[in-house]
Amino acid sequence: MGGNQSVPKITKQDRAILDLKLQRDKVKQYQKRIQGILDREHEIAKQHLAVGQKDRAIFALRKRKYQESLLAKTDGQLENLEKLVSTIEFSLVEVSIMHGLQQGNEVLKEIHKEMNIEAVEKLLEETAEAREYQREIDDMLANTLSADDEEAVQNELRQLQEEAFVTEAPIRMELPSVPTERPVSKVEEGREEERIPDPEQRERVPVLA
Amino acid sequence: MSYSTHTTPSGFLLPSIHAAQAFYTKQRNQQTQAIFTENWSRLILAYARHKRLFTLRLEDAETSGNPWDEIFRNTRINRRLFPNHLSHILQDMVSKNLAVYDPPKQTSSVLLFWRTPEEWADVLYEWADSTGLMNSILTFYDITEPVVPSQLSDIPVAILRRAINVLVKVNRAQLIAVADGEGVRFLAQTGR
Repeated sequence: MGGNQSVPKITKQDRAILDLKLQRDKVKQYQKRIQGILDREHEIAKQHLAVGQKDRAIFALRKRKYQESLLAKTDGQLENLEKLVSTIEFSLVEVSIMHGLQQGNEVLKEIHKEMNIEAVEKLLEETAEAREYQREIDDMLANTLSADDEEAVQNELRQLQEEAFVTEAPIRMELPSVPTERPVSKVEEGREEERIPDPEQRERVPVLA
Repeated sequence: MSYSTHTTPSGFLLPSIHAAQAFYTKQRNQQTQAIFTENWSRLILAYARHKRLFTLRLEDAETSGNPWDEIFRNTRINRRLFPNHLSHILQDMVSKNLAVYDPPKQTSSVLLFWRTPEEWADVLYEWADSTGLMNSILTFYDITEPVVPSQLSDIPVAILRRAINVLVKVNRAQLIAVADGEGVRFLAQTGR
């Protein structure tokens, strides 16, 4: 059950990809931190304004603005990192596709080696010959039948045909046709009259006098 | 006094024993206490699963206003669970592998295993498989804070690490370490 399945080696590439992704995580975490600061400075500015310290509020908002510009910068960096990671991963996929194509090509070559055109031609020729041979045997066997045998064969064929006809015949029988009028039960007559039938039914059901 | 179940505001169904006053007091009788401890640990795990809580601290029983209020405080019968009682319960849970002291070498905070590391390993492997992340290298951050929220969102790294170790043992995952941190690669099972 795959217990001893070999684990792929960790290559330099793998480490490089991991490094990149860890860097990306760091940028993401940094962004989270800045977002926290942004929210806090906003809160601080509000508090200062509430108690009338306008200059302090402005100071907080300035700090906030600066952090905001940092956030925008890191956004760009994050995009770069993520693009690089995607490019690398896509290249890896391409490499594996190349590998697959290569292997398929090799297999196809191997198969073709075993199946050259001359061999196929020879094979087809031999098959045709064999078929011809079989036909000759058939003819010979057919000719060995005597006239009596032939007669018996024809008789049997006729009998079979008749039997087939007989079994077909009984199927043709007459069936009663489907009633066209709606059955009306006597018990419900009284009630039936009281009820107003819906328009569609009224057309079809003959109303009793 | 009739004991009945009660549904908390967060939609958690408290068992009827939660309405028993004795449930909150440490019992002299060992057998009774063992039953109470078992009920408490089951209740704690069920509630943790309900609210996706991973850690439990002794001080959660000490102070109010934390997510554990709903089970550690029963205002309807005016009872609460005391920290020293909780400490006893935690000790029992750790001994039964239902929790583990985290960070290690202290006894006031635990990681709760409402899924065992083996169960988390299955969840993790299935997640990687269903999101097409087999064979690609992931950071722990990729798993704990995925772009699309999953069952593994916000899982503590300590639990994640245990689950990964379970997978590493059966060659379903591979840990990769570099100077800056660690990553993991999930391996598809080939062959039977």
